[in-house]
Amino acid sequence: MDLAYTPEQQAFRAEVRAWMEANVPREPLLTLECEQGYRQHVEWERKLASGNWGMVTWSEAYGGRGLDLIQWLIFEEEYYRAGAPLRANQNGIFLLGPTIMEFGTDEQKARFLTPMARGEVIWAQAWSEPNAGSDMAAITSKAIRDGDHYVITGQKTWSSRASFADWGFGLFRTDPDSKRHKGLSFILFDLNAPGVTRRPIRQLHGDPGFAELFFDEVRVPVANRIAGEGEGWNVAMATAGFERGLMLRSPARFQAAAARLVSLFRAHEAKASPAAREQVMQAWMDAQAYAYNTYAVASQIMAGGHIGAEASLNKIFWSELDRAMHRTAMQLLGAAAELRHLNDGGLNGWLEGYIFSLSGPIYAGSNEIQRNIIAERLLGLPR
Amino acid sequence: MDFTISDDQATLAQGVRDYLAGVHGPEVLRELDAEESRRSDAVWQGLVEMGLSGLLVPEAQGGLGLSLLDGVGIAIELGRAGVAEPIADTALVAAPLLVAAGGQDALLERIATGSAKIALQHPVNPWTADLDTASHVLSADSDALLLAERSGTARLLDSVDPLRRLFVPASAGGAAIGTSGALLDHAALIAAAQQIGIAEAMLAQATDYAKTRTQFGQPIGSFQAVKHHLASAAVKIAFARPVVQRAAVSLGEGAAHAAVHASHAKLAASDAAWATAETATQVHGAMGYTYEVDLHFWMKRAWALASAWGDRAFHLARIDAAVIGGTLPIGPGHSFA
Ligand SMILES: Cc1cc2nc3c(=O)[nH]c(=O)nc-3n(C[C@H](O)[C@H](O)[C@H](O)COP(=O)(O)OP(=O)(O)OC[C@H]3O[C@@H](n4cnc5c(N)ncnc54)[C@H](O)[C@@H]3O)c2cc1C
Repeated sequence: MDLAYTPEQQAFRAEVRAWMEANVPREPLLTLECEQGYRQHVEWERKLASGNWGMVTWSEAYGGRGLDLIQWLIFEEEYYRAGAPLRANQNGIFLLGPTIMEFGTDEQKARFLTPMARGEVIWAQAWSEPNAGSDMAAITSKAIRDGDHYVITGQKTWSSRASFADWGFGLFRTDPDSKRHKGLSFILFDLNAPGVTRRPIRQLHGDPGFAELFFDEVRVPVANRIAGEGEGWNVAMATAGFERGLMLRSPARFQAAAARLVSLFRAHEAKASPAAREQVMQAWMDAQAYAYNTYAVASQIMAGGHIGAEASLNKIFWSELDRAMHRTAMQLLGAAAELRHLNDGGLNGWLEGYIFSLSGPIYAGSNEIQRNIIAERLLGLPR
Repeated sequence: MDFTISDDQATLAQGVRDYLAGVHGPEVLRELDAEESRRSDAVWQGLVEMGLSGLLVPEAQGGLGLSLLDGVGIAIELGRAGVAEPIADTALVAAPLLVAAGGQDALLERIATGSAKIALQHPVNPWTADLDTASHVLSADSDALLLAERSGTARLLDSVDPLRRLFVPASAGGAAIGTSGALLDHAALIAAAQQIGIAEAMLAQATDYAKTRTQFGQPIGSFQAVKHHLASAAVKIAFARPVVQRAAVSLGEGAAHAAVHASHAKLAASDAAWATAETATQVHGAMGYTYEVDLHFWMKRAWALASAWGDRAFHLARIDAAVIGGTLPIGPGHSFA
């Protein structure tokens, strides 16, 4: 164990810092969940790509920098330190990208990865269906083979970014007679293809951050299937692992929120409850604990290890931390907590953040499902 | 930057774990509970022969010369096995402080051979553990670290932890050998590390019980309420462990904010152990409310260590001064401040 950054790592930090200071928009962007805000965020993705910062851990061949996970953590720290925008590109770079690298063909890697890293194609994920939420194996949307195409019919829902995004990836039943985990395939599709209808859904905050997708005989080339026909479940589980695991929520995000919470507390200290004081300290401690653990997992992966069901520990920890931090902030704000815009005209970010934090324990596999996974796979309790 | 323990560290900890699982199972705890002294020369000798007394003593004085992080790995195992001998205080807290103080080679040699036992005394603790069998007392006043040979006896208190031996301390006095600050931080760190092992032991006991106890025709561990209790404990422990490791590195290097890291470690590990104790009791049903099930040894140790070496309020006050008071840089980019 050596908890000091090398001179190279420090130099890398300085490089990221300088670029962010010069390029992060001075004015906050509109929310990613509305159309205009989405466009602003995509523009920011292109800006990042112009500096080659799209996904620093990917190889240069795919628009990355070939950096390691510690450098990625440093990048993320500087990213959040600079107050840079949320990543419109997150489904692509953190979920689909790693999936294609693990399971895709060379042709698929060449076709999809570089435009992904460069923010030219924004991806939506499409697993959930009205009757397949936590129980994803209940998926019924079909992709029926017709020559070198699949014909997709069915419905997906809660698809983040799908209101505005370019492409989607999801699981479809390629064997119509199959049940549960068998007969599913992992397929990529163009959201603008004929037969795809998007119905934006207003989220708790009022903006259409996710959408329902209706498929009416949508023709998709077989070459858009990742891995073998009927092997989709295992591929999707790997993707879900990426989502819960290391990358989706880097510790810097929570360290930034905890630091803002400390500032908020100082501003409201005179009327804050002793309980709020303790919660603020807990927020800082837990954000640090999450950072240490992430550095530990990153170091283990770099040493050849791998993260399995442990990812469920992470997902529970960050999502419950995020909700607790924002709840504390709402309580500190007192009467102002309910205002969508504060007196200075700015958006009440704590309220927005609190609303979003309520979804953390639900998406990426609900925390109840994560606790089942921990109990059954890490502790070995009977199913 | 590398946040992994080395293969050697893992192997050492596993070796100690296997050894203690073999010679220091729950039946030993029950035997000790029936002994007036609550201590066993045989257990002590075994620990010494394993090299644990000399773990942090330099090789020149007959020890292994390992690091505080190695020591934390072993403290976790001592907690897991419920070891009550004063090995953690002597070998993992006193020894590195004596090394840092300098000029204590003779005593360090005796620690390595197991012939010296050091009781620790600090104003934050109203009582002193294992004072009766100590050869020396290492104590702190407001600014100095004092070393004295133990003299006289003291009044024994009655801890809920059946194997804990607490005494009302007399002023130990002695010669100043250094400054006092590090004693509390080291002892809090080693207590925190034991709490990790204690918590993992309780989680393992409750998980085993949940696999074997059946009700309604099935193991209680198949019920989701039970699963979720245990999973929540696993989360707490998983995120306390790296905090303890981080504090070990920080104290070992004498880092500027090491005291804050020690406080964080103590809080995180004690909270995890305390919560796991309640969970494990609940999962055992009425069995968990008995003196007959082994769980209580660990649970009571968790309670004791949670308030020894600075209780929750004490350590929160130090976090408060650093984080809200603003003496510690916080936010992204300050992960290792
Ligand atoms: C903000 C947000 C973004 C999302 N983005 C996407 C996306 O991009 N793509 C996508 O495909 N989906 C997305 N989802 C959907 C998400 O994956 C599902 O909401 C989630 O899997 C839960 O499914 P559900 O909503 O149908 O709830 P249900 O499965 O109906 O669950 C309802 C409640 O019952 C509990 N429950 C269900 N089964 C069990 C069980 N076996 N044991 C214990 N408790 C159980 C759940 O934990 C939950 O508390 C998103 C959701 C949100 C909130």
